[in-house]
Amino acid sequence: MGRPVAIIGVGQTKHGRRMDVSYPDLVREAVVAVFNETGLTPNDIDGVVSGTMPSMMEGIALTHFYFADAMQAAGKPIMKTETCGSTGVSIAHTAYYWVASGMADLVLAVGHEKMNEGNSQATMTTVAEPFYQRYFISGAPGVFSMQSQMWMDRYNIPEEKIRDAAAFISVTHHDDAFDNPYAHIKMKVTMDEVKNARIITYPVRLLDVCPNSDGACAVIFASKDMVKKLGRKPAWVKGVGYRGEEYFFGDSDKVVWESAIQAAKQAYDQAGIKDPRKELDVAEVYNPFTFQEMLFYECFGFCEPGESPDMVLKGTFTRKGELPCDPSGGTLCTNPIGATGLIRVAEAALQVMGKAGDHQVPKAKLALSHAMGGVDQFNGIMILGSKL
Amino acid sequence: MEAKEYKTIKTEIRLPYELAYGATWTRFFEGLKNKTIFGTKCTKCGRILVPARSFCPRCFVDTDEWVEVSQVGTLIAWCYTNYKYFGMPTEPPFIGSLIRLNGTDVNFLHLMGGFDLNNFDEVKKIIKSGMKVEAVWSDDRKGHIMDIKYFRPL
Amino acid sequence: MAKQVAIVAVAQNAGAESKDNFYDQAYAVTKEVLDKAGMTRDDIGTVISASSDVFHGGISCANSYYWETTGAFLKNASRQDGESLFALFYGAMRIMTGHYDTALVIGLCKGSENPPNDTCTLMYADPFYQRGVGLTETMAAALQMRLYMERYGITEEQCAKVAVKNLGNGLRNPYAHKKGRYTVDDILGSERLIDPLTALQVAPKSEGMVALILASAKKAKEIADKPVWINGFGSSLDNYYVGDRDLLNGQLKNAADRAYKMAGITDPEKKIDVAEITEPYAFQELMWYEGLGFCKEGEGGRLMDSGFTEMNGRIPVNPSGGVLANNPYVSRGLQRVVEAVLQIRGEAGEKQVPKTVKTALAHGTHGYAGQCHAVAILGR
Repeated sequence: MGRPVAIIGVGQTKHGRRMDVSYPDLVREAVVAVFNETGLTPNDIDGVVSGTMPSMMEGIALTHFYFADAMQAAGKPIMKTETCGSTGVSIAHTAYYWVASGMADLVLAVGHEKMNEGNSQATMTTVAEPFYQRYFISGAPGVFSMQSQMWMDRYNIPEEKIRDAAAFISVTHHDDAFDNPYAHIKMKVTMDEVKNARIITYPVRLLDVCPNSDGACAVIFASKDMVKKLGRKPAWVKGVGYRGEEYFFGDSDKVVWESAIQAAKQAYDQAGIKDPRKELDVAEVYNPFTFQEMLFYECFGFCEPGESPDMVLKGTFTRKGELPCDPSGGTLCTNPIGATGLIRVAEAALQVMGKAGDHQVPKAKLALSHAMGGVDQFNGIMILGSKL
Repeated sequence: MEAKEYKTIKTEIRLPYELAYGATWTRFFEGLKNKTIFGTKCTKCGRILVPARSFCPRCFVDTDEWVEVSQVGTLIAWCYTNYKYFGMPTEPPFIGSLIRLNGTDVNFLHLMGGFDLNNFDEVKKIIKSGMKVEAVWSDDRKGHIMDIKYFRPL
Repeated sequence: MAKQVAIVAVAQNAGAESKDNFYDQAYAVTKEVLDKAGMTRDDIGTVISASSDVFHGGISCANSYYWETTGAFLKNASRQDGESLFALFYGAMRIMTGHYDTALVIGLCKGSENPPNDTCTLMYADPFYQRGVGLTETMAAALQMRLYMERYGITEEQCAKVAVKNLGNGLRNPYAHKKGRYTVDDILGSERLIDPLTALQVAPKSEGMVALILASAKKAKEIADKPVWINGFGSSLDNYYVGDRDLLNGQLKNAADRAYKMAGITDPEKKIDVAEITEPYAFQELMWYEGLGFCKEGEGGRLMDSGFTEMNGRIPVNPSGGVLANNPYVSRGLQRVVEAVLQIRGEAGEKQVPKTVKTALAHGTHGYAGQCHAVAILGR
């Protein structure tokens, strides 16, 4: 559908607590990185897509203005895409449709967040509406912990098994992050440490939760003609999917989670994927919480419903497993929210371009990237492949 | 907020922020404490940018050549502000102004002052675009943009 | 992009304060636009909304809040922030890829619940420098107006005439928030908020849910008797710091040139039959005439004096009353599109311009002194 579109380069900041730089300079770090990587200059770019979490996060509104210089967007067409936590993947989608429509040949997509500058959980609480739900939603962890409990109950999964599997995810992702030069949290953790960490919102404990990160990510999307002209190894966009549910947490089933299931299906159909666990070589799943990562495996068809804890404990989703998930350490180790979804896309692109360095999954040809947002409400997917 | 004739919820959102200056603006605002105004020069286009920038918005190269710029300049445009709004720099009336400091290549946003602002007709006699102006410093300087109290006509 | 994407239905609500809540207003307008098209939610392929968070409305991720009100439940939808014309462009691009046959595009704003416009626009300022000096869109506009008058000899009276025209035109617009028969003296004699701007030269803060349905060429012919085609669009962003920019030589020309080129228009002053443009501050309409190529640089005042942009002029500008009459901040660009569509279809009611409208222009801008501009060209 539309013209073929590929990612031809990505740039990331060193994510973490970055009080050494101002917010615009942080954004520029990622933008400079993608220009250095591709050898392109701002003059080559036809349009820019920018996005972040809501203005409350850093107390600055409509940041496409603030970052006009840092993104080198002056004099260029601009789009400002924001869909809460899924912003990053929505930015990638916008860039994709822009190039696919024939309206641009080279689009720069930039996602950014500087979470250490504001109060992220308070911001997240103001995502909930002010009449009724805002009082009860304890930021993001509250929503996700309720979702996790519903999932356990639905499939009668023994709590201990789930706890073990979640701890296993935490341990392996924290190990993975050591091989990702851009990751925020680089910390060795053990199963016991995860299982005994402080309770945040039961069953979620401290080491089940992502950090607050400062970071930015810049990705250049190109038309087929431009890929040919530049002669760079691309990551082709094979499928895009997105779905959203009702605002009120409680209206929709979050276990058989339709927005996640249908977003993946839309992307799979476009990419011609029938058996994702077999056909995908790697997945970058948006995993701010260990428990939720397992639910995504089920919604994306990586395994049957209720089956993921067993599969996790068997090592199916580790870097040496059948379908490596989040070899970058994922959102669990790095979460500058407005950038996070785009980092998933960038990491998936790096994998199929063979440029993921120390966390490269050997011979990865087809990769899934994902982000989630809203009040457990939105899911977006982009599938990338080494072949058109 | 006045009460409305239909039912409403009144709500307020206050959140704390701690925003990083970064190296360049740390040095710029330190400069204000010491009654100096720093700009940076772009080595590519040669423009002197004030306040100091970490990079040239046009050339997209680092601007690490520091210059102390003149505290005297030319008034480019002004607006006599006579209403209150959240975040206003001082009680109205005040005069938002664009000022081209001598030797620099962009306009510096600040206030005009140093004379009685209360009578607009009198103000209009004093203030003219194109006039020479000079920075007046606050005695209590904290490394904030209002360390410069305002610019006064020369 | 001739005749690839059409607008097949439009709907909007009134600009004055309503006691309905945001959620219900959004739902009502979505329903209305679907009903007008004879469609249901199931017929819609994708939904693109435009809105702003927190400072405009007090809810972070506003699109989470109103998601289902726009008919987007379990649909592939997205959101643009700041400028609703971006949503139109995005909806059109999604259709152009062939992924979707129809798109519902909606701008959402409930101005009566928002803090004052200046409180919101102050938050666009960097927190270190411009915010400390109190920079708002109104202050940036006042500085721009001073520069404009002094560089080109534009008079305060010429600027005031824009408000006389637009608030007068608003009388014929049932949705207009602010309207009235004023004289130049009334405008100049209104409260001197921020000299050289007076209160009646500054746009209000309005409600505005504005929805339209886009369709591919094939689908449009099935749905609509009078499809209105999106023939061109363009946007452009300026540098950030107001002191770095030439406030009289901004990005409108760039945005307009992109739209004209796509639409194959080389002589806009001849080809455009009516224009709906975003003039949150009266004098800006004169500047935008120049940027849109209706007259030469510095001649906006003279063009106004000549009557060129009055209801019965060569290019009527803002027959709806424009943004001075109705200013739902994020939605206002899309509202210009809706008004342009009504003019092309000959369904603008009392505000219908007295001529045949083949080609109409819609323009949006947001940011300090027009930091960003967006232009759409529509045609029969």
